[in-house]
Amino acid sequence: MKPLRLDLDDDDFQDEIRAHLAIAAAERVADGADPKTARQSALKDFGNVTLTTEAARNIWRPRWLDALRDQLNDVRYAMRSLAKNPAFALTVVGVLTLGIGLNAAVFTMLKSVAISPLAGVDGSARLHVVYRETDAGRRVRVSYSDYLDLRRGNAAFQDLFGTSFIVAHIGRGRTAHQVSAELVTGNYFQALGVRAARGRTLLPSDEAAPGRDPVVVISDGLWRRDFNTDPGIVGKTVEINNTALTVVGVADPGFHGTIVSYDVEAFIPVTMAVQMGVGGGNASVLSDRSFGVVYPHGYLRSGTSLAAAASEATSMWTALSQAPLPSETAYRLRIVPFRDSPAGGQTYALPTVVVLSVMSVLVLLIACANIAGLVTVRAVSRRGEIALRLALGATRTRIVRLLIVENLVLAVPGALMGIVLTMRGIPLLIEYAQWLAAPQRVFLNIGVDQVVLVFSVIVACVCALVFGFVPALQSSRISLLSVMKEGLAPRGAARGRMRSGLVVAQVAVSLLLLVGAGLVTRSLEAARAAHPGFERDGVTAVELDVAQNAYDEPRGREFYRRLLDTVRADPGIESATIAMTPPLGFLDTRSQRVALDGYEPRPGEDLGFMFNVVGSDYFRTLGIGVLAGRAFQERDDDTAAPVVVVNRTLAERYWGGATEAIGKRLRTADASWRTVVGVAADVKYSRIDEAPRPYFYVPFFQSYRSRMMLHTRGPAPVEHLVEQARTSVAALDGDLPILAARSLSERTMGALIFLNFLAMMLFIFGVAGMALAAMGTYGLVSYTVKQRTHEIGVRMALGANGPSVVRAFLGRGLRLGAIGAAIGIVAALALTWLLRSVLFGVTTTDGVSFARALVIVLGGVFLATLIPAWRAARTDPLRALRHQ
Amino acid sequence: MALHSSRPDARTDLLHGTLDMLILRTLQWGPQHGYAIGQTIRAQSSEVLQVEGGSLYPALQRLAKKGWVTAKWGQTELNQRAKFYRLTPEGKKQFLREASRWSELVNAVGQVMNPATAPGGKE
Repeated sequence: MKPLRLDLDDDDFQDEIRAHLAIAAAERVADGADPKTARQSALKDFGNVTLTTEAARNIWRPRWLDALRDQLNDVRYAMRSLAKNPAFALTVVGVLTLGIGLNAAVFTMLKSVAISPLAGVDGSARLHVVYRETDAGRRVRVSYSDYLDLRRGNAAFQDLFGTSFIVAHIGRGRTAHQVSAELVTGNYFQALGVRAARGRTLLPSDEAAPGRDPVVVISDGLWRRDFNTDPGIVGKTVEINNTALTVVGVADPGFHGTIVSYDVEAFIPVTMAVQMGVGGGNASVLSDRSFGVVYPHGYLRSGTSLAAAASEATSMWTALSQAPLPSETAYRLRIVPFRDSPAGGQTYALPTVVVLSVMSVLVLLIACANIAGLVTVRAVSRRGEIALRLALGATRTRIVRLLIVENLVLAVPGALMGIVLTMRGIPLLIEYAQWLAAPQRVFLNIGVDQVVLVFSVIVACVCALVFGFVPALQSSRISLLSVMKEGLAPRGAARGRMRSGLVVAQVAVSLLLLVGAGLVTRSLEAARAAHPGFERDGVTAVELDVAQNAYDEPRGREFYRRLLDTVRADPGIESATIAMTPPLGFLDTRSQRVALDGYEPRPGEDLGFMFNVVGSDYFRTLGIGVLAGRAFQERDDDTAAPVVVVNRTLAERYWGGATEAIGKRLRTADASWRTVVGVAADVKYSRIDEAPRPYFYVPFFQSYRSRMMLHTRGPAPVEHLVEQARTSVAALDGDLPILAARSLSERTMGALIFLNFLAMMLFIFGVAGMALAAMGTYGLVSYTVKQRTHEIGVRMALGANGPSVVRAFLGRGLRLGAIGAAIGIVAALALTWLLRSVLFGVTTTDGVSFARALVIVLGGVFLATLIPAWRAARTDPLRALRHQ
Repeated sequence: MALHSSRPDARTDLLHGTLDMLILRTLQWGPQHGYAIGQTIRAQSSEVLQVEGGSLYPALQRLAKKGWVTAKWGQTELNQRAKFYRLTPEGKKQFLREASRWSELVNAVGQVMNPATAPGGKE
């Protein structure tokens, strides 16, 4: 076998040609020519040696190398030609940056709630979650015993781990701080496939018996921040909720727990629930089947459908309900995909993110229409160049390819800069979310990873191809003859139609965007204006947990009593109180199941209500009306009879009215019957758009909690009040950490987080879309004006005046604008139902939003048309005519 | 979409193919060097087909790449250095294939050009 040759043997080839010439010359000499003439004649007959060598080289060169070289040439040519027209290139890159940046950002958010919600866990979107649901649709955790039965008995899940989110404090005294923690079952890490970076993960053996395994796995972040990357961390002891736990490992750095939107930093065996203070230290938390502890999670076995898993769970649940120690019949067992999990923030975030995804695609559409317009205009102005290339023998494919390469040369930097924009923008979003969520640490899996990169580059290339291809194809269809005959002025209604179509499309889509932005902005206005049932202005919210400085109950009571005495003694304070939870808390707090005097519940009826533990003066401080009876007073302490205040909905629904409720009794979960002493007005307890719901209040001194929030009200600016409250706490105990200190209106901002966020994003989208559409319209109109300079010159020479020229262009521009707006309105009417889940206080056909959008769009089109038209009207007829 | 602009167009393809066939035909009679191949084609075609070096040598490289000929330096009868090309067995087969395709083509073109004389031609 001869060796494989990949290239021409150049020396040998030259040698061969020399031999050829020598033989040819020798033959001529033999025929009688003189040697010099013979050599020259032989060379002449042979032809061009360089070209021959080149051709021979080409034979050997592989084809793909040729193709690659061609591509590189195209890229080089494209860059040169774009460099000649930097304004065009920069505009396109800018437009793409905006379009792709917004899409990458929104895609990243979608990734964090639906596609890949858990960092460091492969395929986390495929997780399923089990929970109990009441008749009233309330979602409740599963009791530990029920969980164990489900884990043992089920065949649908590969493995079923349980987790319970708690907010814990780590350390004590001045350095104590709050961490998000999960109480997990021993198989948690194995089921998720998460490894330990140091030491070990939790194991099934850590779940052997209640209280037996005081161990913890900490996150990489906690290890770095609190332990300064101590290499000997494994085996050391940390104090969490005043219980000493041994650190057995540090989790993989990429892992942040399974509670979407929270950065979980400690993983503790669920068997330590009592020690961690779940259920207020109630020792039967793990054995009581009525006490919800965990949300079971797992991957379904391959081949098992969600429906099959659900029906299996239901039949198991029925069996459990008939066991000697029956589970609560009031509940159904539900299994849902992780994105609908009741455990994290994803369920609330998903509608927002879906709306944003749709809107960002619309922005991208405008961006593409915009670029298509630019490319068309540019291609038309390059007719001369293209005609020349065609005349010189370039094929049409070749020209289309060149134009597409040009678009790609623009698209790739556009995509990269879009990603940079996303990477810069996302930390700002996180910071905002962090500020709203403080003192909890926020974590969302919104890193810009390969998935996002690939997504952006694909989007960019699709844009470049699809919206560059049509104009490119059109311009390659140039007839040589027409260009030569008509110079550079193109004719052809088709191209004009295309330009008009682009304007119409951009106007339509930007109207759609503006309607969406308008609806959400109006919702936000309505939500802000809506009365939440309490007065949030001028009230402070200072969060404390006296357990962080190891206060037991008697000392804690004493602390809060003295704190209230101190702040109330201040003449600048009108009233002060403490409360377990603030209103408008965004996430529902734990409910308590109650029994009601004289009310016989239907079988399976859900009497679980959210509640608050509050100090005296609570209703006055927060401005909540007391409709009947009285508010809590100093005397409602543990020496007095147990009392309760219910809200109006509870009183009306179960006792038939506020006055009727007074004197009735309500049994709370701690088995004490409490007498209703007052009925308070309804408040928005979690979210502004919630329906009225039953709620009750228990006095602090009859139901101690270590973690409370101090509210003070006074005439001074709220910032002063906050500082004052801080000082009061520090004066009582300088070592007690303050978890957060701010105004109540800031504290309750979280309830509007998604609406706020959506309004902000949609505003950006609307403005970006409108700006792009205006730019596109402006570009296309000024192009048309330029094209018709000659015609305008003739008209003006024939007596047309400036205003009539302006009118002509304006008429055409506004006609296109009106068509676009009409299409946009129809599209908006058809699409705004998508927003239904996020709107508040406005209908999807809200006239004000539509009217505003219409005015903005038509105004934009008007300006974008007026400026070039006005310029056209100033055309000097003589110059315009001479120009041609 | 094929994006190979470097692909020679159909016209030159035909020429290349024909030249390749002529070279293979010339080498049927035995190994030859480049100059002699050119001269032979010229003489055999009654001086009609003049093969320039610029076509001949790339064609020889093409045939060598495809493995239809091998080349070896040697001496001519007049003791001049020259590179001699020899058909490989694969090259011989290729020639037979091309020869039969060529005669088909000539036949077909002939029928088109002179329909009346063609066997089975209509009118």
